[in-house]
Parts: sequence; structure tokens; C-alpha cells
Amino acid sequence: MARRLPKRRDMRTLALLVLLLGLPCVQANAQEADAPEGAIIDSVEMSGFSPYSLSPGLQKEFDSLVGTPLNRERLNQLVLRIEGEQPEMVAAVRSVARPDGKAHVIFLVARISEDTDLSENINARYLVESVDLEGPSSDVSQQLRDDLQKLVGKRLDTEEADRLKDRLEKELPGRDVARRISKGSEAGRIRVVFEIIEEPWIRFAPTRSKLIYHAQQGWSGALDFPMSSSRSRHRFTAGVVFNDIDELIEESSGFRLGFESRMLGTEKLGARLDFARVNDTWEDATLSALALNPTVPELYRNRLTFEPTVTFAFSPSVRLTGGVSLSDMESLTHAPDSQKANAWVAGISADHTWGTDHGSAKQRAEGSYSLRAAVDGLDTDLFYKRHLGQASYRFEQGRSEAIGSISLGYISGQPPLFERFSLGNSTTLRGFDKYDIAPLGGERMFHSSIEYRYSHVAVFFDTGSVWDRDTDAKIRYSTGFGVHGDNFFLTLGFPLNADDATPIFMMGVRF
Amino acid sequence: MSRAARRTSIWNAALLALVFVASPPALAAQTLSVNAAGDVLHVKARDFAFIAGPLLNRLKEGRSVRLDFELTMLSKPEGPTVKQVVQAFTLSFDLWEERFAVSRTGSPPRSISHLRASDAENWCLENLTMSISSLGIGRDTPFWLRLVYRVQDLEPVPAETPGERYTLRALIDRLSRRREEGDLAKSVSGGPFRLP
Repeated sequence: MARRLPKRRDMRTLALLVLLLGLPCVQANAQEADAPEGAIIDSVEMSGFSPYSLSPGLQKEFDSLVGTPLNRERLNQLVLRIEGEQPEMVAAVRSVARPDGKAHVIFLVARISEDTDLSENINARYLVESVDLEGPSSDVSQQLRDDLQKLVGKRLDTEEADRLKDRLEKELPGRDVARRISKGSEAGRIRVVFEIIEEPWIRFAPTRSKLIYHAQQGWSGALDFPMSSSRSRHRFTAGVVFNDIDELIEESSGFRLGFESRMLGTEKLGARLDFARVNDTWEDATLSALALNPTVPELYRNRLTFEPTVTFAFSPSVRLTGGVSLSDMESLTHAPDSQKANAWVAGISADHTWGTDHGSAKQRAEGSYSLRAAVDGLDTDLFYKRHLGQASYRFEQGRSEAIGSISLGYISGQPPLFERFSLGNSTTLRGFDKYDIAPLGGERMFHSSIEYRYSHVAVFFDTGSVWDRDTDAKIRYSTGFGVHGDNFFLTLGFPLNADDATPIFMMGVRF
Repeated sequence: MSRAARRTSIWNAALLALVFVASPPALAAQTLSVNAAGDVLHVKARDFAFIAGPLLNRLKEGRSVRLDFELTMLSKPEGPTVKQVVQAFTLSFDLWEERFAVSRTGSPPRSISHLRASDAENWCLENLTMSISSLGIGRDTPFWLRLVYRVQDLEPVPAETPGERYTLRALIDRLSRRREEGDLAKSVSGGPFRLP
């Protein structure tokens, strides 16, 4: 580090010289040659600052330069000391060769606040070594590329750089541009990067990692390991599931693998392959309820699922998905007999975000509909059609957030248990236990939720019902409060129309 | 675990949750202090580090960041407002010196460089002042202070850094990540104070 300092200082001095050469008093000397190392210093000058404002020690050092051989390392150390004593200033040094072979030393000092660029970004003191575009930049015009390169060789002009960034955004509608600076290949030089950030038309599915505690249902966990870089078109995900009782009626443990491609030749086409194998256990309430309802298909000890799908994006906001879901369930009571639940899957989803600028209100709306149809031609043992529609809306302003959501589900035919709807977990009818509501799940479902958060302190009101085709729907209400973030929650839910009004505590992280 | 056992554990978990929820505000209430220099009232905030997280990442990418500070004097813990001052600062990070620079906008502008993160934070607070004579309150009058900062002018950044997905740090970051906007605004309150 100590050896690197002089070179670093030299380069910064050069950069600052470029900055300070705009001063008229220095411009006259700018054409003169640098004095050689070892030349005797015959005069010392400080420009832009009074040497009498320096500490006595530094003044003495400054005065003692006259008559000594030129030593650039010593001069650079003095510059460092000037900046150390005067942190509101930037300094540089230059030595000019006299006709008689002696050296004239000029310390150039400038107040940061008097330079708009330096005030805006202290790195404006450095010379721009290169300007690069990162990300999808093929649509950028040659004229703009040429203008970008005009930044090279000068100190950073932040206003001009911002204008160029605006021009990039105009030439690349629908994409964001970020400007960043990094160190150049030599000390005192910087590299300017304009990073083009494209909202993908098809996004990777959110990971489903979670660790959740529900006072009635216990712990549920899942851990996904996605493997890709941020700009990758493909992603592989390996995950483990342990005692997940939060999502479905069954309690499952096992593993899952997934491969996603969000760009198959075109950004409008993507594909996904999911494979999962889980072992299932069942709550006593489910076993008891099944004994009373012979129309529900039998329980299984493990489930193997393979689900290839293709997604087509009409726009970055609207996507259509289609494929098949092939499941093989080994009977709990008649192993190794198994049942197949093979279905066509189709779905459409849309989302839109408004007002993403910082400080303004932000709104996001999402909607989706999915159909899973186990019909003739897919070698299935169970025949059914499962419809699910979901919509949500979120409004954020400052510390306040309001979230509303609604879900509607309908199943005809004879669905396996993993397809039946369930309410009463950490996200739906919070305050109820799913095994008190419908231990076998149901074929019809309605749920809505409204939630208000202020600085993560949340209150909510959930409404919902899950029922079968030959039973009546009973609407349930719950409310509660907690600390809710995008990744974590700590909730106390109260059932409002239950026989047992015991509150339910839930907490967890999703990431 | 039996369902009965799960029910009994609710109270232990709820107690833990209560401690978790109640602790941060209780601690935060003790972080502000005031002092006077002539007619100028200064505020100091312990544990009010803001050069961290996404803001620090932006600075280390050579971006400048504008911070708006708001210091509000209240006659009661929740108002009404006696006096409010707003001051904007621009922060940048000298890539080669590896030190922070801060500029105070407005008139007169002031700038400083070669600062460590904590010194840059303190410099912002030192330059966020109130004129005591303009307050119109006596030395025995209690008052409360609320200090807020908000990060402005943020440019979009990619969600992830390539190659960081598999590190332990990346995993911890993901687990502890809060909504980014939440990290870019912070408030702390304190009182009662009296004019020194």
C-alpha cells in the first residue's frame, strides 16, 4: 500500500490538474514542461488557497521546499497533508521547468463546494478512462455511442453523463438505465458504465423457501437453492421440503428439482420443468373425515410429480402458460398400488406496477387464472377440472401499505387430495386451523383478505369459505395483527365466528 | 408434536414475539441528544448509522446519493410542531481514496471529503441545526425531537450481483433482506429535552 501511494497520488494529481487548468492563473503555465526529478526548486506557489491558513508545521514544510531538489513523492505527501488539514479542499501539485534548469512548484488547491461536479460526486476529480454499455445495448444508435465516448479523456461531467443516461432511456423504451463508476486500470482514472436493465418478459418463479411456525399446525419448512446469475436466461433449482403442512392438507417431506428457461429463442417464450417426490403423512382429523366421506379419493404415502410447461408472453405484463402435470401417488393402504392424476394445465397471468419512482405512491395489481384438467387421453385414474382465479392489489406510500386479495376456486370431478382447496394457514383465514375448517379440503373455495401495514405493523381482516359441492358454504371471518414484512411475519390471528375463539400465533420467514 | 402441545407453546412464542416487537422502539427512544453552541442547536443521534446497506452499495459503485434530513421540534411526543428544518446532502465515495465526501446543498453550500462513514454521518448532523432564538421557547420548556432522513434520486440497480447467489453472506442477506425502500428512510425520536 505504501509503495502504491505515490503513483496513485501522481495520477490523481494529473486528474486534478485537468480540473484546475481551467483556472486562468494556471492556464498560462499549462504549456510549460514539467521539471525533471532532482531539479532544484527555486520558487513555490500556492494557487487557490492561502498558505498562511495551513498549520505552522505544514507552512514550515512548504517554505522549506525552496532550494531543495525536486522530489515528487515529498510533494505528493504535502498534497495529502494539505487535504488532510483542509478536507473541504482538493489539492494537486505541478512542477514547471525554468529555462535555467530549476523548478517552479505550484500547489493547486480548490474548494469542493465551488465546483458543481465535485460537489455532486467527488469522483469527478478523476479522468474518465472508458465508457461502457452493459446489458442489451444493440438498439443504441451510433450517434449516441459516439457521444458517450466523448466523455473519455476528460474528468467526469456528471451533468453530461446524466443527459446521456436520459438519452439512453429515450432510445430504449421500457428499459431502465443506471450509471455507475468503477476504478480504472490505473490509479486516478475511472471507468463509467451505463447499465441497461431490462425487465424480462418472463420472470423466474419466486423461490418457495420458508420456515413457518403455526401454533396449531407446528413447523413447516422448505429450502430452495436456485442456481443462476442475475442475467442468466436459465435457472436450475434444487429444493428440500420438510414437514410442510402449511400449503396443502397433506404434510409432506421430500425434494424438488426445477429447470426454468425464460428465453427460448425469443424473450417471449419460456419453459419450465418441475420434478418433485414427497412422502406424505396425514393428520388424525383428515383420517377421520375421510372415513365419513368415501367420495374423496384414497390417501397416498408418497407422491411423484413431473410438470413440464411452456410460457408465452404477450408483453412483459401478460403471460400464457400451458403444459401437463403428471402425478403418481402410491396408496397409503394398498402399496404398491398407485393412482395417477395426470392433467393438462393452462393459465394466464397479468400484472402491472404504477409509480415506481421513489417518494411517490406505488401500486401493483396482479391477476391470474389457472385450469388443471385431468381428462381422457392422459392415462389418468382420477378425472377432474380445477379452476382457480386470483387477484391482488397493493398500494404503498411512505410507510403505509394497503394490500387486498381475492381467490376463487372450483373443482368438478374427483380430484386427488393435493388438488383440493384448503383455507386456514399462515396466509389464509389467519386465526383458523385448516383441520377445524375442512380436514379434507374442499371442492369450492372463496377467500378475500385486506391488510393495512404501517412501518411493518399490520392489521388484517380475512374472509373465506371452503366447501364441497353437496354441502353449504359457511363464511368464516378472522382478524388479527402482527409485524409483517415482505420476507417475514409475526402474526396473532383471531377467529371471529368459531366455536373455539382461541387466537392462533404464527411466525416465519419466506425468501 | 401433538396438537395440544402446539396450543400450549403459543404463549411462549407470543411472549418472545412481544419482546421482539417491543424492544427496538424502546431502545431507539434513547438515541437522540441535543447541545447548543451560541444560538445554534445541534442534535446528535447515537446508533443512527445510515451509510450502510443499499445506500453504501450505491456509493461504492461510484454513484452519488442525495439524502434529505428533516429535524422537527415538537412540543409533545406526537406534536404539534414548534419548528422544522429540512436540509439536503449529497454523498459520494471517493473510489481511489476510499473515503466519503459530503456536500450540503443550499446557501451557503459546504463540502467536505476524506471522511470515514461515521464522520460523514456526524458531519450531516452537525450541519443540521436550528436557530435557538427563532424557536420562541423558554429554557424550562420541554420539547421533543424527531429526526428523519430519506434517500432521494435513486437509480435502478440490478436485483442481484452475478456470482453471489451461493455464498453464505448472500443467503444471510436474503434472509434478512427487508424491502429496500424501507432501508432508505429512517426516523428516530427523543425527548423530553430542554434548551441547554
